[in-house]
Amino acid sequence: MAEPRFALSRAHRTAALGALTAGAVVAVGPLLLDTYMTNILIRALFLAAVVMTVDVLWGYTGVLTFGQSAFFGVGAYACALVFTHYGFGADWGLLALALGIGAAMTIALLTGWLAFFHGASPLYGSIITLALPIVLTQAIFSGGRFTGSSSGLSGFPTWYWPVEVYFWIAGGLLVAVTTLGWLLVRSDFGRVLVAIRENEERCAYLGVPVSRIKIALMMAAAAVAAAAGFGYAAFTNVVAPELAGFLLGTEFLIYTALGGRGTLLGPVLAGVGIDVTASWLSGQLPFLWKLMTGVAFIVVIVLLPRGLAPVFMALGRLIPGGPPEPPAALVAAPRRAGPGAETAAPPLRIEALTRSYGSLQVLKGVTMTGHASELLSVVGPNGVGKTTLMRCVSDGAERSGGTVEINGVALGRGAPQRATAMGVGRSFQNTSLFDSLTVAECLQLARMRVDGARLFHRRDEIRLPEPARDILRATGLDQKLAEETRNLSHGMKRGLELAMVLATEPSVLLLDEPTAGLTKAERGAIGAVLTRLTREFGLCIVLIEHDLDFVREISDRVVVLHQGAILMEGAVEEVVASDLVKAVYAGHGADRGAAA
Amino acid sequence: MSALLAIEGLSSGYGAAPVVRDVSLSVGAGEILAVLGKNGMGKSTLLKTLMGFVRPMGGTVRLDGAEVTGRAPHRMARSGVAHAPQEFTLFQDLTVAENLRLGVQTDALFHERMPDVAAAFPRMAERLRQRAGTLSGGEQKMLLMSRALIARPQVLLVDEISEGLQPTMVDRMAEAITAARRELGAAVLLVEQNVAFALAVADRFAVLKLGEVVEQGAAGDPAAAATLADHLKV
Amino acid sequence: MSILVLDILTTSAILFVVAAGLMVILGVMKLINFAHGAFLTVGGYAAFLTTSAGISPWLAAPLAGLFGFASGLVIERLIVRPLYDRPLDAILATWGLGIVIGQLITLAFGRGVQFADSPLTGVTSLLGPDYSAWRIAVSAIAIGVGLALTALLYFTRFGLNARAVIMNEALARGLGIDSVRVRAVTFGLGAGLACAAGALITPLLSVDPNMGLPWLVNSFMLVMVSGVSFPSLALAALAFGGAQVLVSTYVSPIVGGLTIVVLAALVLRVNPKGFARG
Repeated sequence: MAEPRFALSRAHRTAALGALTAGAVVAVGPLLLDTYMTNILIRALFLAAVVMTVDVLWGYTGVLTFGQSAFFGVGAYACALVFTHYGFGADWGLLALALGIGAAMTIALLTGWLAFFHGASPLYGSIITLALPIVLTQAIFSGGRFTGSSSGLSGFPTWYWPVEVYFWIAGGLLVAVTTLGWLLVRSDFGRVLVAIRENEERCAYLGVPVSRIKIALMMAAAAVAAAAGFGYAAFTNVVAPELAGFLLGTEFLIYTALGGRGTLLGPVLAGVGIDVTASWLSGQLPFLWKLMTGVAFIVVIVLLPRGLAPVFMALGRLIPGGPPEPPAALVAAPRRAGPGAETAAPPLRIEALTRSYGSLQVLKGVTMTGHASELLSVVGPNGVGKTTLMRCVSDGAERSGGTVEINGVALGRGAPQRATAMGVGRSFQNTSLFDSLTVAECLQLARMRVDGARLFHRRDEIRLPEPARDILRATGLDQKLAEETRNLSHGMKRGLELAMVLATEPSVLLLDEPTAGLTKAERGAIGAVLTRLTREFGLCIVLIEHDLDFVREISDRVVVLHQGAILMEGAVEEVVASDLVKAVYAGHGADRGAAA
Repeated sequence: MSALLAIEGLSSGYGAAPVVRDVSLSVGAGEILAVLGKNGMGKSTLLKTLMGFVRPMGGTVRLDGAEVTGRAPHRMARSGVAHAPQEFTLFQDLTVAENLRLGVQTDALFHERMPDVAAAFPRMAERLRQRAGTLSGGEQKMLLMSRALIARPQVLLVDEISEGLQPTMVDRMAEAITAARRELGAAVLLVEQNVAFALAVADRFAVLKLGEVVEQGAAGDPAAAATLADHLKV
Repeated sequence: MSILVLDILTTSAILFVVAAGLMVILGVMKLINFAHGAFLTVGGYAAFLTTSAGISPWLAAPLAGLFGFASGLVIERLIVRPLYDRPLDAILATWGLGIVIGQLITLAFGRGVQFADSPLTGVTSLLGPDYSAWRIAVSAIAIGVGLALTALLYFTRFGLNARAVIMNEALARGLGIDSVRVRAVTFGLGAGLACAAGALITPLLSVDPNMGLPWLVNSFMLVMVSGVSFPSLALAALAFGGAQVLVSTYVSPIVGGLTIVVLAALVLRVNPKGFARG
């Protein structure tokens, strides 16, 4: 199937069509295959549902998880334990299923809390998901007669339906879950997941609640895995600790990698195919097969990180798929009073701000105020603490001491999301954006904090405030909404970044060397935009710049930083003409606290 | 005097946009070329490109006639190029002695050349066992220069060594650099914002603006000094 | 010395020597080698083979170490080097390697448990009560290995180069250090250490194709908590190993097996840098 961007109803139409086709295949399947094959397939179908969740977590969101098998095992053991020790029947069955899913989601919540906090390294998160199945298998081992320990439980009462019925259940679950998954990754929310994978830090600064999303995703994935595990146990009538184990968890990763991470259908098909083949072979061959799968896995990771799916997708592109869908339309966002409107307090107030790394003091007590409708430039030689200052304003955990107040409210130790919610917008020195998202998708992402992101739909309009639309017009980006970010020129990327930051409706704009690498014409354009932002839209803009000509042209006030403290501040001409500042820039600052 | 270091049409940058644009310079053996310009104009990037840390987008670099464009940093170092960078200059947790040892390829060479270093910078000899991170800013610059010189380089790339130094220390640095020119016959590329220091030490100068060479001249020439002031006005 | 104290000391020493190989690779290459468990297993089978071939069991560890070093060099070149910029993928690739090694072992030796001769049999009352002689010997060897590695790191030129690469690879390269070669040798060293450790501990337990797995996870958690420093690793091994012994003795061995994993996860949640300085 080709890969153009589907709009709302078309995506739903395609999903329905796909689901119906797959459903038909599932319905007909057991009538065409022999009992042995059907048996193997049922297991594979249940497992493939879990593989799909791994792709959503890892392929799309970038969360490397070894632990989906743990939730699969929870569902399986819920079934076996309830039926073995308590009772059997439709009501017990429903209870067991509910227990399984509930327990899995609770464990997922705890795991997520442990693994996905702001500042956690992805490695740590992966290790927690690694520890999860290990802890669970050990718990099962220590359960004695209750859990069956290392032998597991078998022969418990279950529904002894004909094999076709189980095939339809397993197949039905897989089709339903995959269809929902497909709609999820195609939606606005799905693009947020990809953005998290590509540049998590930038997402945080756009106000995206990354940790909460990851935890919620993990819980949903746990629920699906538990349901699949429940079905698996009911069918096979046997549970063993291996179902919750680490080895199965990594097999899911292998299927995902081989099928093509981030394609959803690839891993599902790979999961079914590889598992069926492994079960179908007998004798020594299963070990050889596992060996080959392992080698293929290594080859794919090293040489083809995106698996085999892109090969098939490239072939699919040869089939004409109709005209591409038009991207979302830009509309005006309702003009709302920002957080700054209610209060008389200045948009930005920094007092006695310090930042030390061990014994190295980078910022030594900076006090300054940023007013509305003002463009304040922060200048100073390299390494003097300008970017650090900006970091301390946008991330409450950064500073070592002092206070930061946005619109009269203290930032405290808040994460970047909190600063963004309070009205801070920050651009970065390097333009690292989201390579595989289009301009339209980036803008929609930036609106998440204000407008939310639809789970199974894609909005066909992007609501942007006037300043953002201004920039898009000025840079010509409004003609390039369907362009992927990686194809934009450097100047356009800067413009897009600025538009995205403005889309979050900030009252304080922190810009870190916005003109770096721009041509003279582009500098002029940016300068005009920034001036308009302060004059017409009343923003407070704080600018770090090296280009003193640029500073002179557009600033209202200038602050000079030197060795972590404010050397001087005042009107542009006053500061620029000052001998002290000239001396500092020319390197004669020997008497101003120079090193001995 | 044929150029020991010949740079022709060199362009490089960190992303799509070039920060160094079509730069052509040459430095002969025993010659000091000062590279001047305001902040963010591409001076450090030029040195990093020469050292192999930034991949060139175009142009050539020749060392003593041989082409070395885009060679990896460790091979440039072994070819006799020493780099005294502006940031991440020393191993803060290693001692002065360990930092100096890392300036040469074998410990035998270190012991052989240490007396020369001690003569030029006696304070380094006194502090051999001290952790580099505990030295004062000026002492760290001294250590940086000692480490560059202990390698007896053919080409010395110096990035804003005078920044934040007291006048006496600045003089000491000037002495060390001119000694390198005299005793080693090294070609020195001196990136500086401190114009006075640069012109006092260098033979020639070049001005970089927005990544391009906009002016070149002899350091002693008063007419050149006048246009220089224009380019560097704050 | 009571048996409990001896248990704690020997367990810590064993954990230390098993984790050392993983830490060496993490420090220089900033990479988690998920084939570590498989290397341990290979070392264990090397000990088994040494026994079967009638060679002196004292040679098992050195032979395993050499084999590991050579294999490590090859593996680094083929699998690890291309993944320099993709650390999470490197974990997966080395994990895949571990699986492949496991399957090869299963095909060659079957899934059953094997035993290797111990170089020292019986008990000794050297340190008080009667205690497994080989266990004490392994602990002594572990301490020796720790000291030797520290000496390598702090008293040789290679060690100085390695420390430079650990601290700042770019700066090290600018000074002429071929960091690519340092990384390759380091991986070989880490793999060799893992194989040797596997050969050392097999006489105490047994060996089967999945033997290395729990050691991998425990080593990993210890290294995450300790950061890159031998003294720190020794401290972590002592603290967590001790906790494991105490829990195993007073609660249950199964819960004991989880102690390191759970404690380390909690410690890292509170302080992501663990015991490391700064």
